[in-house]
Amino acid sequence: MPDSGYPWPISTTRLDNGLRVVVSEDRTAPAVAVNLWYDVGSRHEPAGQTGFAHLFEHLMFEGSTHVAKTEHMRLVQGAGGSLNATTNPDRTNYFETVPAEHLELALWLEADRMGGLVPALTQETLDNQRDVVKNERRQRYENVPYGDAWLRLLPLLYPPGHPYHHATIGSMADLNAADLATFQAFHQTYYAPNNAVLSVVGDTTVDEVVALAEKYFGGIPPRPEIPAAPDGRVVPPTGVPAEETVVTEVPAPRVYVAHRTHPFGSPGYDVVTVLATVLGSGRGSRLYQRLADGERIAQPDLVGAYGVDLAHAPAPLIATATARPGVSGERLAAGLAEVVDELATVPVTAAELDRAKALLTTAWWRQMSTVDGRADALSRYATQFDDPATVAERLPAWLAVTAEQIAEVAAEVLGADDRATLTYLPQDKQ
Amino acid sequence: MTLIADRPGPGTARPYRFPQVVRRSVAGGGVVAAHLPGQNLAVAMLLLDAGAGREPVGREGLGGVLAKALEEGTTQRDATAYALAIEALGTELVTGLDWDTFQASVQVPVGRLGAAVELLAEAVRTPRLDPDDVRRVRDDEVTALRMDWANPGPRADAALRADLFGAGNRWGRPMYGDPDSVAGLDVEDVTVFHSEWFIRPGTLVVAGDLDRLDLDALAATAFTGTGGGPVDRGTPIEVPVRSERRIILVDRPGSVQSTLRLGHPGPHRAHPDHVPIALAGTVLGGAFTSRLNHLIREVRGYTYGIRGDFASSRRFGRFAVSSSVQTAVTAPALVEAVGEIARTQAGGVTEDELAVARSWRAGQLSVELQSPRAIAGALSTLVVHDLPDDYHARLREELLGAQVDQVSAAAATHLRPESLTLVVEGDAAVIRDELLATGLGELTDHPSGT
Repeated sequence: MPDSGYPWPISTTRLDNGLRVVVSEDRTAPAVAVNLWYDVGSRHEPAGQTGFAHLFEHLMFEGSTHVAKTEHMRLVQGAGGSLNATTNPDRTNYFETVPAEHLELALWLEADRMGGLVPALTQETLDNQRDVVKNERRQRYENVPYGDAWLRLLPLLYPPGHPYHHATIGSMADLNAADLATFQAFHQTYYAPNNAVLSVVGDTTVDEVVALAEKYFGGIPPRPEIPAAPDGRVVPPTGVPAEETVVTEVPAPRVYVAHRTHPFGSPGYDVVTVLATVLGSGRGSRLYQRLADGERIAQPDLVGAYGVDLAHAPAPLIATATARPGVSGERLAAGLAEVVDELATVPVTAAELDRAKALLTTAWWRQMSTVDGRADALSRYATQFDDPATVAERLPAWLAVTAEQIAEVAAEVLGADDRATLTYLPQDKQ
Repeated sequence: MTLIADRPGPGTARPYRFPQVVRRSVAGGGVVAAHLPGQNLAVAMLLLDAGAGREPVGREGLGGVLAKALEEGTTQRDATAYALAIEALGTELVTGLDWDTFQASVQVPVGRLGAAVELLAEAVRTPRLDPDDVRRVRDDEVTALRMDWANPGPRADAALRADLFGAGNRWGRPMYGDPDSVAGLDVEDVTVFHSEWFIRPGTLVVAGDLDRLDLDALAATAFTGTGGGPVDRGTPIEVPVRSERRIILVDRPGSVQSTLRLGHPGPHRAHPDHVPIALAGTVLGGAFTSRLNHLIREVRGYTYGIRGDFASSRRFGRFAVSSSVQTAVTAPALVEAVGEIARTQAGGVTEDELAVARSWRAGQLSVELQSPRAIAGALSTLVVHDLPDDYHARLREELLGAQVDQVSAAAATHLRPESLTLVVEGDAAVIRDELLATGLGELTDHPSGT
């Protein structure tokens, strides 16, 4: 068992304005990753403003005080870099990996949009990016079979008012209603140095990064009071399974079984991570062996299970299967539920456990094999657990999980009484 | 508020280096490896000259069915035992297929690579190919393709490919086949394809810490029991270009977006203009700030994204643009996309645009080639296209040295706006009249079904 999942140096500095700067030097390749996590996501959105955190992420690429519209992308790509950003219920992240000599440019760009977005934000930009996001929604959720599964699962798992009740992409109605003043206020409220972590990994030094961070971010004032998202840590079990059946244009019946488990980062969620791998990763997993190979009721490429790594409330575990031709949605749902139920009753064998841990070990080192993968991990652990060095504990924690713990956690959180089941059935074609 | 107004310039560039490449010939096969000191993960990828281009016409999807069938048990163990053995090492058997090659790879912590290559070779060289299993895998693959073809895209891609290259040719049909072609495969097709192409040694690509790996032992494992000499790779194919632009409409009733696939034939991979062509494609549709993405997404808001590029294999190539646009703006999006292609062909690129394109493409050679998987992919390019060890360093110099007149000349020569095939997959009842009214070309309705 490795002692550490992060065998590189980590240094953390807090600037006077509260910005945490995490540096991890690695001179292997002449590239450097810059990664910012802002501790704001769709869990902060009030009713009527769903999708705003994500739409805001788009606006961050459209110019700031000293950066013209479209210049951000042009400067990073023109420096040879890769860049993107993502929003989820928990947080918003922004990242670029550039050849090492362009580190200062990347930090200048990030500082300018942290401290100077509002003066550059125009109605025209908002209208344009609103259209882009509505097309993103159409392309990813509306125009593909089963595309809205995640949008339907969340309200089955989390009650109204819970920070995870609505999906990050938001509703078309809310997006249409978005006004400029709300976004200006959004930036002023959440995009503060004391609500962010800056991680830099790769071909640089701690001294260089801290000096540059001080130079570019040091003048951005902190915000004294940043409102917290609603507390979602306790979700009382309803004692009644939540079920939804959607009859629509899909090519085959598909079932999703979902449970609330434990928050990412907790010991319980480490068990869930291993459990999900036993259940649904690879051809040796229980779902594949039982439903795709054994009973042959599920399509082999479309069975699986995974946890969604959310940290501020019990995170979802989702298992899914799609029916082979001639198999009904009912039969598939029963088969899927049975395999999930057995996690509490049929002990996980040593071979199953070793297989899961081997796959997770490879997955871990795959993320750590790039400077951008490492930078994102450091930002996560600094933001969510207040100490980037705790990143080193995750892999050993997975490897310490026992079969008994899996059975206990399964009995605790995977009960049929507290299960959300979403079934898609093909529409009869007349 | 104190923000620094002045944009900083670059620091001193660190020298570019691609990992050290090691080549060996062992037991009739080749090894191409990259040394990644200190890297915990390692990748091994077996490349076979058994790409989709080797499939007989009418048998499209054969390689895909064989790839899946490899994991249905070997002469040594059944499917479940195989899955448990390879996953216990921390990897799945990853297979891939393109026009030129079939690839099978494993990715594991470096100490386990020997055992993983043994299992890789066991599946590729000695699969059981039990007839019942092969038939079941085929039927599953038909179902999987039907699932995929229920999404927007595959039908439009197939319509474009057939129109560019001719449905009578293998390269005019979908790379992975379609539900009907796969349904028509029988067991013998699969076993014959295996014995013809999967017993030849091929090339083993390795990316990892070579101080902790024994290349000769890995190669001996990969090439045991192989035979058969090198095979003719064929010469580049002359693909005629259309004399007139045309629209093909693929109906997708109720679709809230229209899927656009625009294209024409292009140069094969070994064409001497490869670098300027790639840069012209980058300016037009490759980078986020490309002409197409800037206009169609950032100015008009018609789409979440639009991309265009030249892609090429050993024997043929194509230029293509792809996007999904809101149904209501299908016609203007199409007109403006064609307009940008024509403008780029006629007027070439500017120095500012080229500066971004060349730096981006050159920088990506450091930024995107970090993981063992990415390095293995870069090595496979060397193998498939017979390129030297210092190819990536030379490519970088060529990209950085490219001049506006070269790239503009490549755009003028290799973009054919008047010969484009414009495939639109969307709600025909809503968009058909508007498409006709664009005057972009004659409109053909694609037959329904696949």
